[in-house]
Amino acid sequence: MAAVPPSGRAKNLRACLVCTIIQTSMDFRKKGCPNCEHFLEMRGNTDRVNTCTTAQFDGMTAIMNPKESWVARWKRVDISVRGIYAVRLSAKIPDVLRAELDELGITPRMDMITET
Amino acid sequence: MDLDERDVRMRAGNDYDEDEEEEPVRRKHMDDSDDEEEDEEEEEEELERDPRKAKRRRREQVVNPYIDVQALVDDDDADDDEEDEAEAGASFLGQRRHYQQQDDEEDDQDAERSVARARRLDRKRFEDMEISGEELAKRLREKYARNDQMVEELASVPQRMLMPSVNDPNLWQVKVKPGRERDIVLSLYRKTLDLELKGNPLQIISAFERTSIPGYIYVESRSKEAVISACSNLVGIFRRDPILVPIGEMAPLLQLKQKEFTLQPGAWVRLKRGKYQGDLAQVMDVTDTGEEAGIRFLPRIDLTPREFEGGDGSAKRKRAVAATVGRPPARPFNPEEVLKVYGKKTTIRRGPSWIFNGDTYTNGFLEKDVRVSALVTENVQPRLDELSAFLGDGKDGEKAAGGDGALNLASLAAEIRRPIMVALQPGDQVEVYQGEQIGTRGIVDSVLGDIVTIRGEGLELEGKMTIEVPARHVRKRFSPGDHVKVMAGVNTDETGMVLSVNGDLVTFMSDLTESEITVFSKDLRTAAEVGSSSNVVGNYELHDLVQLDMQTVGVIYRTERDSFRVLDQHGQTRLVQPHQITMRKDSRRAVSTDAEGNELRVGDNVKEVDGEVRCFACSIQPFETDMNRTDVVWCYIFIKRFTPFCIIARFPKMAESLSLDVVRSLLLHQRARRSSPQWI
Repeated sequence: MAAVPPSGRAKNLRACLVCTIIQTSMDFRKKGCPNCEHFLEMRGNTDRVNTCTTAQFDGMTAIMNPKESWVARWKRVDISVRGIYAVRLSAKIPDVLRAELDELGITPRMDMITET
Repeated sequence: MDLDERDVRMRAGNDYDEDEEEEPVRRKHMDDSDDEEEDEEEEEEELERDPRKAKRRRREQVVNPYIDVQALVDDDDADDDEEDEAEAGASFLGQRRHYQQQDDEEDDQDAERSVARARRLDRKRFEDMEISGEELAKRLREKYARNDQMVEELASVPQRMLMPSVNDPNLWQVKVKPGRERDIVLSLYRKTLDLELKGNPLQIISAFERTSIPGYIYVESRSKEAVISACSNLVGIFRRDPILVPIGEMAPLLQLKQKEFTLQPGAWVRLKRGKYQGDLAQVMDVTDTGEEAGIRFLPRIDLTPREFEGGDGSAKRKRAVAATVGRPPARPFNPEEVLKVYGKKTTIRRGPSWIFNGDTYTNGFLEKDVRVSALVTENVQPRLDELSAFLGDGKDGEKAAGGDGALNLASLAAEIRRPIMVALQPGDQVEVYQGEQIGTRGIVDSVLGDIVTIRGEGLELEGKMTIEVPARHVRKRFSPGDHVKVMAGVNTDETGMVLSVNGDLVTFMSDLTESEITVFSKDLRTAAEVGSSSNVVGNYELHDLVQLDMQTVGVIYRTERDSFRVLDQHGQTRLVQPHQITMRKDSRRAVSTDAEGNELRVGDNVKEVDGEVRCFACSIQPFETDMNRTDVVWCYIFIKRFTPFCIIARFPKMAESLSLDVVRSLLLHQRARRSSPQWI
């Protein structure tokens, strides 16, 4: 289960670039991303956390019931854990990460990301 | 899945041996990295396509050696490609060309037949696609035990198939206190978890906010009551009923693309806090994340530190509460001065820059890395005097010139254009300098919100005499010779004649002073009146006789915005603020004598007896002189004690108490052009 961010205005909130889940950066470091950890491996590695997440996001969404939610389905995150997700990210996907994702066959969700 | 492959094949279609080509390419687009799975996939595809493949193989055997194989292959492809093309919306004509290249008649006929077939297949596939998207998802889900497949699978499903249907839960719009949106979303989440544990689950499915929609959150639920119940007892929610969002508006809510404001180098910002609060700064560079930026601005170094305690002193400065009160003026960094005041130890040089007190100074600017959150990036509106330092037009900051004048001018221009729309009025002459209608000139016909209707000079677009352009593409146009008046900024109320126009900057010569003033065109408008519109500053009017201090009186000969220029009886001119004036003196009843002993009063016409005017009375009246000038002149005449020519004691009392030596007078010419005090 994803950890709940303590407050909407907490300064160290970050969103995963792949699944847009929002946690504090500490949480990402401690537990990684609940959805993507198996291929992102952020746990324990601050650098990795900074590469794979972004602090610029918009549209905080609490998804309590991912299976039933149309909102979740629209964002194509409906099989993931319940938690807080972002609607839009604003970040540049680091080339390193993009190469990895390409190799895995995962296309980053461009419609959610407004690249700078 | 099908789609991708075929697309790829089309692109790679140059190879004769297609089958080989298929595989490596397909692998790239495989969503799973597992080999085993790949094979399975392939198998499936193979089976599906078998009939067509068989057909193809058959065809290839009939190849005429003289015919370009490539073309043939493409033709074969045509069937499948057809579907792709249609699917991708490519032009059908493209396909036709392929066919025409065929020399073989047989193939031609075949081609046409296959076209028809393709179209049929196409339609069918289309329908299949509709289902297969989700079907596919389900299949894959079942096939692979892992739970975190969502990214891989759904990525291939086009967005349009995920539009909300009547079976989906509704979205309810709830009004909340602006600024509390995120907190409320989080509270709803926590509340849901809590109540679930307690066995009293909330029936809401999700909730979200958008920063571009302040004051509202959206809750996903099948019933309004559930939303109301969820929102009960939460702070910051208005007690109104939630409003149902129409199904067609649901998707747009999630699609809103915020216009991300990323700070660009060269942009103008202002600092939010600290000693430099409100000061203009220029962005030099921005980090990748867009969180921090390197900026430069004029430093405010206190060159008269009361307590110079070296290290301690800086700590004290940091603790200053009201940092902006009594702060030193912003001036370019001058290493010599700083060295002199603070000693050699604190200031060191490193390359082209100086380091003082932990800050880096280059080219006179203080350069600093700050968080973007500490900067005001919108509506910065740099003033001309602030920009002069950055642009180095020689005012104060020759040293401070960045050196990249070109860049600065461009960003200056951009910055000026961006902010608040100029107040354009019908009748203003304007010029379009951006957008499609660039270069067009005309007169404003009407203004409606952001759109300005211009009646052009010689404009005839589709028979229309007017064009409409957004206000920000337009700027006021002035020509040399126009008489203008300043409406905003430091030089408000100045009037004058335009000398030159340079992009957004207009230089005119002031009516009152003869100096050249440069302002933004957005601050100007044409005006008929000459001179200040208002000659009253504080309690004093132009031409008032005022007492400056116990021993000095003077006459206001020019009013400026919030101060005036005064000529005192010593013949000195000075700039004076209203509060520096003790009181106004009334000179109406004063009586004096002229050279011949006649009474002289305010309002009398006088004539200079001598070439050098040595008489003075504090009366201000227009009179004419025979000094070969037929202008109206204003003469300020002061008391003088000793004079061979004429003694006019205007204020007898003053004459006694004051010791006056200076013999000077001032003739102020109130012609349109010249108005600087002339000593005669």
